[in-house]
Amino acid sequence: HHAWVLIMRRSHADGDEGSSRQNGSDGPKGAEQQQSEAEVGAFSFHPTDSQNSENDPRQRRELRSRYRELISTVQQNREDILSPSNNKLTEVLEEANRLFKDVRQVREAALDARFLVVATDLGKEKATQMCAGNGFDPSIFTENLLSFMGLNRLEGGEDEQPEGQQVDGYLPEDAWHRLARRAESCFRTAPSFHYMNGAFHVEPPPPKPRIERQRREPTKEAKRIMPTELKKLDGFHQEATEREVERILGYLRSYYRDDPTCPISYYEFVIDPNSFSRTIENIFHTSFLIRDGLARMYLDDSKLPCIAPIEEAAVGNGDSSSRKQCIISLSPKLWKRHTLLFSLPPIFLSPV
Amino acid sequence: RHKRASARSASGNFTRHSGSGRVQEDDDDSLFTQPTTSQVQRGLEKLTPAQVERKVTAEVVQFILVKDQKKFPIRRADLIRVVLKEYKNIYPEVMKRAARTFEQVFGLRLMEIDPKNHLYILQNNLEPVGAASPVISKTGLLWVILSVIFMKGGVVRESVIWNILKKLRVQPGEKHSEFGEVKKVVTEEFVRQRYLEYVRVPHTEPLEHDFCWGQRAVAEVSKAKILEFMAELHQQDPKSWSQQYREAQASSPRAGTSSQR
Repeated sequence: HHAWVLIMRRSHADGDEGSSRQNGSDGPKGAEQQQSEAEVGAFSFHPTDSQNSENDPRQRRELRSRYRELISTVQQNREDILSPSNNKLTEVLEEANRLFKDVRQVREAALDARFLVVATDLGKEKATQMCAGNGFDPSIFTENLLSFMGLNRLEGGEDEQPEGQQVDGYLPEDAWHRLARRAESCFRTAPSFHYMNGAFHVEPPPPKPRIERQRREPTKEAKRIMPTELKKLDGFHQEATEREVERILGYLRSYYRDDPTCPISYYEFVIDPNSFSRTIENIFHTSFLIRDGLARMYLDDSKLPCIAPIEEAAVGNGDSSSRKQCIISLSPKLWKRHTLLFSLPPIFLSPV
Repeated sequence: RHKRASARSASGNFTRHSGSGRVQEDDDDSLFTQPTTSQVQRGLEKLTPAQVERKVTAEVVQFILVKDQKKFPIRRADLIRVVLKEYKNIYPEVMKRAARTFEQVFGLRLMEIDPKNHLYILQNNLEPVGAASPVISKTGLLWVILSVIFMKGGVVRESVIWNILKKLRVQPGEKHSEFGEVKKVVTEEFVRQRYLEYVRVPHTEPLEHDFCWGQRAVAEVSKAKILEFMAELHQQDPKSWSQQYREAQASSPRAGTSSQR
């Protein structure tokens, strides 16, 4: 019912915005009444009204403040009023009607018009809700969603809804992650494509595509920046490799020192049961030890490769004739098998 | 001889267009007139298949892949200005082949989501496998907004969204640990990506905005799956939201979406 009323009122508001003809009367019978009242009001004040009450500044001020109050309560309790379960919108409209009885001048009428805009807007939204089948309640939705996201309701009262910070702690850190993981299935987003080494810097120039720069003659700036960056990268890798090799040598020596008689199985040494890529890195770094003559490899009785460090004293005596090369290949599948075969929890080379 | 004649008529076209004053954004695009089939044919004749192939795979495909990283739609105007350049006369053919490459090699679909401004997006053509790609938690935020809009009939006032997000411990004015400046993410990033439309509401003081689904969301997001998740959350039959259920059925994932080819 009030949705219809609002449309009536809206047409007034659209027709003569800002003029004193807008008024707050409501209901079908009010529509005609208001018309005559408004007409009178627009041209001259009602003759039977006492001049005093029309112009009494105090009364007018009070009326305006009541209007403002009404408008601000409506704006602040928007969600409440929109909730399909109550009649608050009708109530505030009736309140506005009461106020309008005392409206005689343009300033008050303008406020009434402002209220009208706010109320109309709410009415429209409420009507939209009805179209949407009424079955969706945002507050129930958020409650369910919070449960899904793992809200811890045990700590702190959930009924009180303090503004902001205090409640933050109860939502676990991975809450949004959890939601995103489930929500993903609703999207057909193409996985985004990235160069492994980030060939182009994605950040700074937003609209300018990166490819353009590559194809153009390198500008002065590019010339200046590119080589320095590359050098830095190179140096970094070099250093990192050296450090790793050093570290692995340290491990090897300490295991050997622990028990020089016990052969160290090569695979046990390099395999990281938790990470294939780590294993490959270990193999890579260990190969430097062999190349530099800091360690040697041999086959034990059961033809399994073993590794042992070469004593400091013997380093450098490396006979060039004894130099051999071998290639070790390892696929993820093989690696899996090896981890089982060598029953490996002992992680010799734990990651840094 | 007729080759020269056609070249002249084409350049005549350009001068006429550049004379018309247009908005900056569309300016370079308005310089481009869709070549006719015979123009494309003539253009192709002048090039070796290897040249065309290089343009298509090495450049256009790569360009689109890189541009798609941020999920902002790819503008035809940019494609022509940056990549195609003098090849622009074979534009339709190039796009056709690029779309084929995306489909056959990458399992992606190149779609024109905005035929007026000629914006393209990439869409996953394969069934989602789950757990294969790293999760982007912004997807959760986006899902909340899109599903509220959907459940509330297609248009939602900004304040409603913020109220809901506040209950989910996301404050528009604050920096969120996961999303950074949420207000910016929602009203700028999601909007530029065309997941959301952010429309000014007339006659509001202070200014207010409505949210509705953007073109990318329409193309990429399944209403049926949203409803399914919604039903799961509420432990309710999806059919109990009859209106939404009907809408979800009507807009089954790829029916009626325009594709580039």
